[in-house]
Amino acid sequence: MNAPGTTPDPVPGQEPERAPDRDAALHWRRVHPVTPMVRGWAVVGGAIFIIGQQTLDGGPDEGGVVGLLTSPYWWTVPLGLIVIGLAGFGFAALAWRMTTYAVGDETVHLRRGVVFKQQRHARLDRLQAVDVRQPLVARLFGLSELKLEVAGGSDSGIAIGYLRDADASELRNELLARAAGLRNTPPAVAGSSRVAAEQGSGGPEEVPARVDGPPVGAPEAPEQPVLEVPPARLIASLLRTSVTIFFALFIAGLIVTVIVTGTPQVVFAVIAPFIGIGGYLFNRFSTEFAFRVAISADGIRLRHGLLETRAQTIPPGRVQAVSLTQGLLWRGPDWWRVQVNVAGYGGDGDAGTTNVLLPVGTRDEALTVLSLVLPDLGIDDPRAVLDAGLAGDSRTPGPFTGSPPNAVWVDPIGWRRQGFAVTGRALLLRSGRLYRILAVVPHERTQSLGIAAGPLQRRLGLASFEVHSTPGPVSPGVHHLAAADAAELLEEQAARARTARAHAGPERWMEGPR
Amino acid sequence: MTSPFDPADVTWSRVSTRLTAARLIPATITFAFPIVAGSVLAMTVSPWFWLLAGAFVLLLVWTAIVVPRQVRAIGYAEREDDLLIRKGILFRSLTVVPYGRMQYVDVEAGPLDRRLGLAKVQLHTASVGTDAQIPGLPPEEAARLRDRLASRGEARLAGL
Repeated sequence: MNAPGTTPDPVPGQEPERAPDRDAALHWRRVHPVTPMVRGWAVVGGAIFIIGQQTLDGGPDEGGVVGLLTSPYWWTVPLGLIVIGLAGFGFAALAWRMTTYAVGDETVHLRRGVVFKQQRHARLDRLQAVDVRQPLVARLFGLSELKLEVAGGSDSGIAIGYLRDADASELRNELLARAAGLRNTPPAVAGSSRVAAEQGSGGPEEVPARVDGPPVGAPEAPEQPVLEVPPARLIASLLRTSVTIFFALFIAGLIVTVIVTGTPQVVFAVIAPFIGIGGYLFNRFSTEFAFRVAISADGIRLRHGLLETRAQTIPPGRVQAVSLTQGLLWRGPDWWRVQVNVAGYGGDGDAGTTNVLLPVGTRDEALTVLSLVLPDLGIDDPRAVLDAGLAGDSRTPGPFTGSPPNAVWVDPIGWRRQGFAVTGRALLLRSGRLYRILAVVPHERTQSLGIAAGPLQRRLGLASFEVHSTPGPVSPGVHHLAAADAAELLEEQAARARTARAHAGPERWMEGPR
Repeated sequence: MTSPFDPADVTWSRVSTRLTAARLIPATITFAFPIVAGSVLAMTVSPWFWLLAGAFVLLLVWTAIVVPRQVRAIGYAEREDDLLIRKGILFRSLTVVPYGRMQYVDVEAGPLDRRLGLAKVQLHTASVGTDAQIPGLPPEEAARLRDRLASRGEARLAGL
């Protein structure tokens, strides 16, 4: 069986013979004509970035671009940028001509590629998440990009961009409605035209300027705001991360070094890691800025971002695993960070930003968000169990089974926190004494299970248990259980996962249980 | 105490002992280079290079002792709803892969494997963490297992 969801077509030329009846019914559309303007800037920005980096790496004495700019050949720099810019915009314009998309009853199609053509079909019932992304430049034009995630490994999604904001959200609602199983046949939209079936043969004059309207206006599922992260708390939470502490120590060390040695050139030697750490912190601030969580019939909705805004929709049942984590310095205000594994999100370059369900929140807020993803844990008193999982250890009474005391030899700090609890619907795994982690895996989302033991663990009668989840920030597991507990958990969890899968909700979440 | 790596009422199938050869031959070739180089240098430059050659001879001997035992430790079992794979002597592991979670099955055989009549079956789930490979199967057994896994996976196929 192939990776689900996507079917890359290696021979685009043969595509019409393959399914003529179905493909003929598709309305092929172009993305917004301003798209090349938006994409081209990335090339220019990249060139400027590389030149800037070269200059910094070269140091002040080496010359680099600074040296070139002050020399008689200064005009080569702007000329080079113009050439790169023209090439970038030209290629983006070509790429725009080659990019068309269509929405079928059960699939989304995308054709693209200038040199290597690609046609991709994504099955809507395999849809894992839909994001509407709006980079800064696109925002100036009022455009956004729609990104569909299907579970096919890295780079398996379909990105349709750029569309006008209203069209993008309309298309998203349409896709979600179809993925949910609310089938509605697209009425012929007046004024919308079809791109010629033979791509590339038709000139641009065949395509009127406005072909970017989505096929049908599906109403947006009404949503209910749940919570919002205040900017002040986000800044405070970032200041309380270990990265910031290292950053501060680093600067202090740098100042001391400069004063003691009297050589300010040292600063240039360490400027790269400096920018790296600062960039990481700014990136987190910028992506998690104005974080809003809402719930709708189409699943959980997240909106966030300062420069680039992103509106994510994760339909019900797509979350493979959830983790609630708390660093040492977040313990005072009792803040937690909630991250999820969603097939299709993981393995992405920006895995750190799309997998966040709540960047920082109080315990109540974190548990609220958890309950949006897993409404029913299948226990009578979820709060007590979750509290034990978040902050408790082997001395707190509760349903958690922990490591036996001799695990202290292999895990002297964290052994008391290691533990698991089984509820009717999910497996809870807690770990970490300094950096607390509670991982929650719904039984029906268990991929495979494993236990492992090294020589020392076996001598002590211990074994580590692991749940294999889709790629993402959550890697659920519990170390150093008593061997008998681990074996029993493995056996029972396999059975529970099987039963839960048989009773799991449908992939199309509006169709009701099977 | 019963080991957690030996669940009750499971009969393990073992892989072919030819896998020992398939693993030892590349190891021998890899170690032969520093052994030969060390010996040549020891005779021409300095006797201290015997240490280099000796270290790699020891490594080779150790490999020759360990690999047969590792091969014997690999086992797999097809149960009603899942496949069990176990391996390792010092560092043991046991993986349970439900048939309904399988996304695809790979059968691979390199040139040496083919000459020795071996193939490797690898199961892939939606998780990259699933380390479910069975090396050293005779080709006909690999093909049988592949078809069986594929058909069972289809019968129990669930979403993600």
